Amino acid sequence: MFHLSPLRLGTLALLFAGALFSAFASGYAGLEILTEILILAILVIALDMVAGFGGMVSLCHGALMGAGAYAFAMAGMSLGLPVWAAMLFAVLFTGAVGWIIGAICAGSHGIYFIMVTLAFGQMGYALVFESPFFGGDDGLAGLARPDLSALGIDLNRSRAFALYCLAALVLVALAAAQILRSGLGRALVGIRDNERRMRALGLTVWRTKAHLFGLSGMIAGLAGVLAAQHVMYISPGLMAWTVSGEALVVVILGGLGTFVGPILGAAAFVVLRHEIGALTPYWHLVVGLILIAVVMSRANGLFGFVEGRLARLAARRTAKADAPHREPRDA
Amino acid sequence: MDFGFWLFQTLNALQLSMLLFLLSVGLTVIFGLMHFVNLAHGALYAVGAYVAATVAGMVGYWAGLLVAPLIVAELGLLLYWLLIRRMRQSGPMAQVLVTFGLIFVLLDLTRIIWGDIALGIEVPDLLSGRIEIGGVTYPVYRLFIIALGAAIFAALALVLAHTQIGAMIRAGVDNDQMAACLGINVERLFLLVFCIGCALAGLAGAVAAPVLSVTPDMGLKILIPTLIVVVIGGLGSLWGAMAGSLIFGFVQTFGAVLMPGLASVLIYALLAAVLILRPAGLFPARG
Amino acid sequence: MKDKAIGALAGLCAGALALPAAADEIKVGLLLPYSGVYAALGNDIEAGFRLGLAAFADETEARFAIVREDTEVKPPVGLAKARKLVLDDQVDVIAGVVSSGVLGAIRDFVHNSGVPLIVANAGNDEATGEQCSPFITRMSFSNRQVNRPMGEWLHAQGVQKVYTIAPDYAAGRQMIGAFVDGFTAAGGEVVGQEFTPFQTTQDFGPYLAKARASGAEAVYAFFAGGEAISFVKQYDSFGLKEAMPLYGAGFLTSPLYVEAEGPAAEGVIAALHYVPTIENAANAAFVAAFQAETGRVPSEYAVQGYDAARALVQATATGAADRASLAQALAKVSFEGPRGPTAIDPATNNIVQPIYVYETVAGETGLTQKVLAQLPAEADPANGCTLSATN
Repeated sequence: MFHLSPLRLGTLALLFAGALFSAFASGYAGLEILTEILILAILVIALDMVAGFGGMVSLCHGALMGAGAYAFAMAGMSLGLPVWAAMLFAVLFTGAVGWIIGAICAGSHGIYFIMVTLAFGQMGYALVFESPFFGGDDGLAGLARPDLSALGIDLNRSRAFALYCLAALVLVALAAAQILRSGLGRALVGIRDNERRMRALGLTVWRTKAHLFGLSGMIAGLAGVLAAQHVMYISPGLMAWTVSGEALVVVILGGLGTFVGPILGAAAFVVLRHEIGALTPYWHLVVGLILIAVVMSRANGLFGFVEGRLARLAARRTAKADAPHREPRDA
Repeated sequence: MDFGFWLFQTLNALQLSMLLFLLSVGLTVIFGLMHFVNLAHGALYAVGAYVAATVAGMVGYWAGLLVAPLIVAELGLLLYWLLIRRMRQSGPMAQVLVTFGLIFVLLDLTRIIWGDIALGIEVPDLLSGRIEIGGVTYPVYRLFIIALGAAIFAALALVLAHTQIGAMIRAGVDNDQMAACLGINVERLFLLVFCIGCALAGLAGAVAAPVLSVTPDMGLKILIPTLIVVVIGGLGSLWGAMAGSLIFGFVQTFGAVLMPGLASVLIYALLAAVLILRPAGLFPARG
Repeated sequence: MKDKAIGALAGLCAGALALPAAADEIKVGLLLPYSGVYAALGNDIEAGFRLGLAAFADETEARFAIVREDTEVKPPVGLAKARKLVLDDQVDVIAGVVSSGVLGAIRDFVHNSGVPLIVANAGNDEATGEQCSPFITRMSFSNRQVNRPMGEWLHAQGVQKVYTIAPDYAAGRQMIGAFVDGFTAAGGEVVGQEFTPFQTTQDFGPYLAKARASGAEAVYAFFAGGEAISFVKQYDSFGLKEAMPLYGAGFLTSPLYVEAEGPAAEGVIAALHYVPTIENAANAAFVAAFQAETGRVPSEYAVQGYDAARALVQATATGAADRASLAQALAKVSFEGPRGPTAIDPATNNIVQPIYVYETVAGETGLTQKVLAQLPAEADPANGCTLSATN
């Protein structure tokens, strides 16, 4: 069951403080990396919701993010919607797509679920890649960032944009926590742990899954909107299945189903990639090896590892503290 | 567009199908037995192509065709002992992610060993040139690919249906724990099947090398079609792999001819239809 | 930190001895793909660029420092790296950019930040057309430039009907479009066209059968990289080469991968802005230097890097040292290079260069390029570019 333990809350607070500090302290490259981390963090929160808490390991979240980005672009360019309306449209659109995928895939489990979501993601990729309407392989340029000049904020500056993404991340984290804490979120965890029992309890399983997948899709769509605004250019590469794979890697790296871990994982992954990328063009090799090592270590990612250790430590301490009381009772 | 044209396109479709069959059969049988989807299967195919290109450049085509599956099988053996054996008890996500990481490791290793410049090998004299069938002249090498795919399919079907090892594999696919109780060394069976699957991927790479270009990303490019074949056909089934390959080959080829631009969307639409109507694929290995 | 201190110290000493040299260090950002499908192109361009800087070093007082960044052939990554080069590394000039997608993504940023960009490959027509910028100078080619004259030449050879085939993306469509313009304007007829899914097509068999059935006398194609290898080999394997000769944009049989194509490439006739067998003194020097450095024959990509470096050297030789003056000086560059007379057209900032029609033939040490014709240099039309009005 999802709850924000003191450790998780503390880590979140620390991460937030760290992000805020680096938003003001870093130079241009740092801000760029920070923004990248923040957007990836939003995407992996969406993925952790379904994969970590619902057991629905999705390989289409990259495509959902891309769907959000393209919906945002098309709403602005073809429908002529103002930026905020286009953002809302993109989030709702991606949510609807997510809901449909979730509903269709609700009956699949394990590796089949992974394969089916991969298929849907690739379908979207092929559609965007091959249709001139979406700009094909050449992508679409000239995307707008929201105008906050009324508030005296110029989002075209890197720092303002990083803070804007940070605000979005905080909102998303709060919303995700709320969703997971709600009846819907609890039902989802119940399904993950024992689908048959939840069904026997009278729950319409597919609907719960579809709702959660839809909500997760909305969050992924928001990540896509921010990614599009960040680069101000989109191309089908955003939707490639390897993006979904990388998002899963980040979730695993941080700790599946720990809520906080994936955010930590996003930070670690982006920094790692930049650091290794600066050293060698073969950074894929190093990242691949690290990934294999993390998955094989069987620890639940960085955060899961710490959490597990602390839990064991706490358990030992309580066991010791309890010991004197128990002995007489046993005797 | 007369009869000859359609015959020609049918041969093209068959050629593509057989190439995909060589790749997907390994992937699917490994899954059927071990419930393990090896995303790095495409990367092994690329390694096979590179090994074949290197050996063909030094010794000759036939040596390359022979050595490539062996080297890739050895690589499979190594991967099995280092990674896959330890991942047997993990969930599907962990397995998918380990092989996902492996894709990038193998991709960069091929770049480091063979460089970024594409390689190519020539078709051997015996298979070069064209012959006339039914009024169309068709490259002999492409017919060779069709024949090879069909032969491997026949051999595998025969082994699975009529030999002891085939019976053991079928038992393992049906219920590996029960098979183990009956005294079958399941672990050794897994290793054998895994290595054969890898060897077939290497063979596919060697066979494809003279037709296509040998580039580091060729494995990534072929992976998605292979997965589509496996999912349409039904994970774990030999006949499913063949059926999926034929469906993919024909839809892709005739889609390209009749409605260019829609060919791949067509494939994905078909895939979605299969997944919605028959989630376990057309020929699932188990009821 | 320590390095910087030592560097500063060395700078001081050098400054005491020869003041201007130390002050004139030009920081160059190389923005190229070092991983992904175009890694081989990126490496060739960099090799050419470094060779060019070394070869012409004594023509300028300026000294150059290079910062390299990998675009991974992904437009968003390219833009992020361009921003890093400009805002963080404070480079004076950027050189490189292989894919038109990356160029499209960074164009506005480069233009708005006023950093000169020397394009060393990407050939999309808009970059020096409606999207042109006083800060973007192209030392490579434009899609139109390479293909249009080939249309006229091919018709002059007596070919009346062609079938065209290219990958379905902007560059493919532009190259074929320009060829068709030239070919039909000369009186030829295009009897069929095919655009294949970009980078996902592995089997060209289905399309080749359509080409054969079209009744064309010849096929005109554009493919690059791995697709070019597959296409040329499969074209030959179906026996089409004898029935309908293969013509194309020269990337089809680039020296970078013609070896992988093998005998299938023999007899293919294509148009390009550079082949290593062009006979002039500058090219002889370049080919010798490149071979000494890498052991390979230089490709068109290598010469683009080499000439980009030479343009930069020439711009700094005029005394330009900051972003604005470098951009201005780059637009006035002209020299006799390996490609023959090479100059920048001030109306579009695109290169003006002769186009070579060449046939791939078997030579003593493998395949080589036999130049059949040198088509005169033509400046692209301005196509909505208003540089000449502002200049």
